[in-house]
Amino acid sequence: MVDQNSNYALQTSEVYVHYGKKMAINNVALNFPKNEVTSLIGPSGCGKSTFLRCLNRMNDVIDICNVKGKFLLNGNVDIYSPDIQVETLREKVGMVFQKPNPFPKTIYENVAYGPKIHGIASSQNELDEIVKDSLHRAGLYEEVKDRMDDIATGLSGGQQQRLCIARAIAIRPEIILMDEPCSALDPIATAKIEDLINELKENYTIIIVTHSMSQASRVSSKTAFFHLGNLVEYGETGKIFTKPDKEQTNDYITGRFG
Amino acid sequence: MLYLSLVFVFILSYSFYFYGKKRALSLKFKKNENLSSLPDYYGYYVVLLVFFPAIIIWFFLLIFKSNFQEMFVMSPVLFPDVATWSSGKFGLIMNKISNLSIIVNLSEIDLTVGDKSILKMASESEIIAAKNLANFDKIYGWSNLTLFIILPVLLGFMATKSISGKLNAQPIVEKIISYVIKGSSYIAIFITFGIFFSLVFEAINFFRYVNFMDFFFNTAWNPNRAFVINASEGFDQEALKEAFGFVPLLTGTLLIASVAMLVAVPLGLLTAIYLAEYASSKVRDIAKPIIEILAGIPTVVYGFFAALSLAPFIKDVGEGVGLPVSAESALAAGLAMGVMIIPFVSSLSDDVIKAVPQSLREGSYAIGATKSETIKKVILPAALAGIMGSFLLAISRAIGETMIVVMAASLRANLTFNPLEPATTITTQIVTSLIGDVEFDNPKTLVAFALGLTLFVMTLILNIAAITIVKKYREKYE
Repeated sequence: MVDQNSNYALQTSEVYVHYGKKMAINNVALNFPKNEVTSLIGPSGCGKSTFLRCLNRMNDVIDICNVKGKFLLNGNVDIYSPDIQVETLREKVGMVFQKPNPFPKTIYENVAYGPKIHGIASSQNELDEIVKDSLHRAGLYEEVKDRMDDIATGLSGGQQQRLCIARAIAIRPEIILMDEPCSALDPIATAKIEDLINELKENYTIIIVTHSMSQASRVSSKTAFFHLGNLVEYGETGKIFTKPDKEQTNDYITGRFG
Repeated sequence: MLYLSLVFVFILSYSFYFYGKKRALSLKFKKNENLSSLPDYYGYYVVLLVFFPAIIIWFFLLIFKSNFQEMFVMSPVLFPDVATWSSGKFGLIMNKISNLSIIVNLSEIDLTVGDKSILKMASESEIIAAKNLANFDKIYGWSNLTLFIILPVLLGFMATKSISGKLNAQPIVEKIISYVIKGSSYIAIFITFGIFFSLVFEAINFFRYVNFMDFFFNTAWNPNRAFVINASEGFDQEALKEAFGFVPLLTGTLLIASVAMLVAVPLGLLTAIYLAEYASSKVRDIAKPIIEILAGIPTVVYGFFAALSLAPFIKDVGEGVGLPVSAESALAAGLAMGVMIIPFVSSLSDDVIKAVPQSLREGSYAIGATKSETIKKVILPAALAGIMGSFLLAISRAIGETMIVVMAASLRANLTFNPLEPATTITTQIVTSLIGDVEFDNPKTLVAFALGLTLFVMTLILNIAAITIVKKYREKYE
């Protein structure tokens, strides 16, 4: 049941996803508390990324993907309602991808892209301020402040990923979805992103898909374990990693399968 | 016979692959030798050692066949004064003899008593020489065939015999193959230079008659004035000075190419965007090949289309709104050419747009950009290098196009930027200057090479520009 509790940034229930005839998500219900980090973990192909992509309707672009279920933003907005424009939804629910995907534009243009499209800044000064602030919050400003007009693809992988985070937060979303944001990065860059996630949760609700269980335990307060399209277990991260209720979860986190 | 022996060279050398490989394998399994290379390489080793010597000798015998013929046929016994002949006379007689030899070869009749009407032009010794030549050809052919059966077999057995476990065939084979590969690429380069220099030498001949500056900066093109030859002084210098003004040809070419690009760029690019971003894969699979057919239509057909359908239509419309339109307008030729080069733009641009990583599209959608914003602000800029490349390729094609302009535009040079007037192009003038009955050393003919060289340099510059632009953007966007 969808709870009308406004402490949740996003509530989902009875979620089914099919790719053609193949079932990818089978009756999942999950609520995401505001200003907290929720990890989605599970073996490859368990549906965690598919589920994440339902939350900002990124699956819309895949023709064969069929999403059913209830998704409520802030307790009252049905994000799959025909009245909702998908662009407006994505303004509120940002996303960071597995592989850093900066646009082949300057660093400045990358961050200014979203604010320009959504008309967030009323003047050039304000836009500059937003770009600066976003880069600052993504922990990248000091590294790039002297080369804002350089092409972003020249940055290192970790810098590119932080730029993508800056790009996502520049439009002031409420929720940030992260799809294995560190899987293409080295340990140092990963540590930086994890620190960043810890800072960002002050202002944003973060939902992160990760393959690294240590990462899930480091950054998140809630964890959901998926297996074969089913939500096996959901709870406090500490509990999931120490005393899981389900045998399957225990097997996965102790490395016995997956 | 010579070509039959080539077939033998191929078949025999190929069949030695199996023999060489078998030999290597028998060394390995029956004599327990360790092979230094993989068994296949011993097969290739034998093939190459048979094929290359044989093919080199074959080419040698083919190229020098005529020399052997001459040595055999033009003996001082038959033609006592042969040593004193000029090379022209020698060639003429040799040609006559080889023609006679075909008749001799075909008919079994005794030429000395039979129908002399065919042979009445030939002397006794020429007829004997023709018979000798026919015999020579027979012998040459048969011995050639025999040689190229024996030689490959001999080489093959020798090469196979030389196989031992210690022989490392792989580096040898790879070295030979690498020379072959290198050689192939040099051939293309040499041919390019060959084409260039053949143009340069004839163009130099042209500039002996016509001043360089007059050619490139005069504004009147009347090549027929170069006919005027003064009996005492040769070419009329005044007429030459004014006959070959390149400027109207350049403007005509640019005018028609611009019209073509005005058609092809928007239509092609929008088609590419539709195909790559909006069309379902079913539509794309059908539409793309159909559009590409446009590029495959013979240009002469576009010429018909331009001359018979487009030009009258444009004339009617123009006159309807009170504009004077020539029956052979640059506009008609340019429009037809534009349609022809649409696929160059659309197909290549479609490929580069498709090649933009999906992650960039998703990145843009995830920020809440619409599809059209994503295309305008992310995808097209990312694909810009390839798109520019496709434009430049299309321009090169438009500038080099001949047939459409020959049929639909005009032959009269006209210095104008008005597309409703007739105009002519460089390529058209190359054609008309070569199809006259003027002798080859006349500047009216030679100008074709000067024009060709100019065209060559123009397209070369365009290509260099294309490569530079593509490189510059690629550095930026990767």
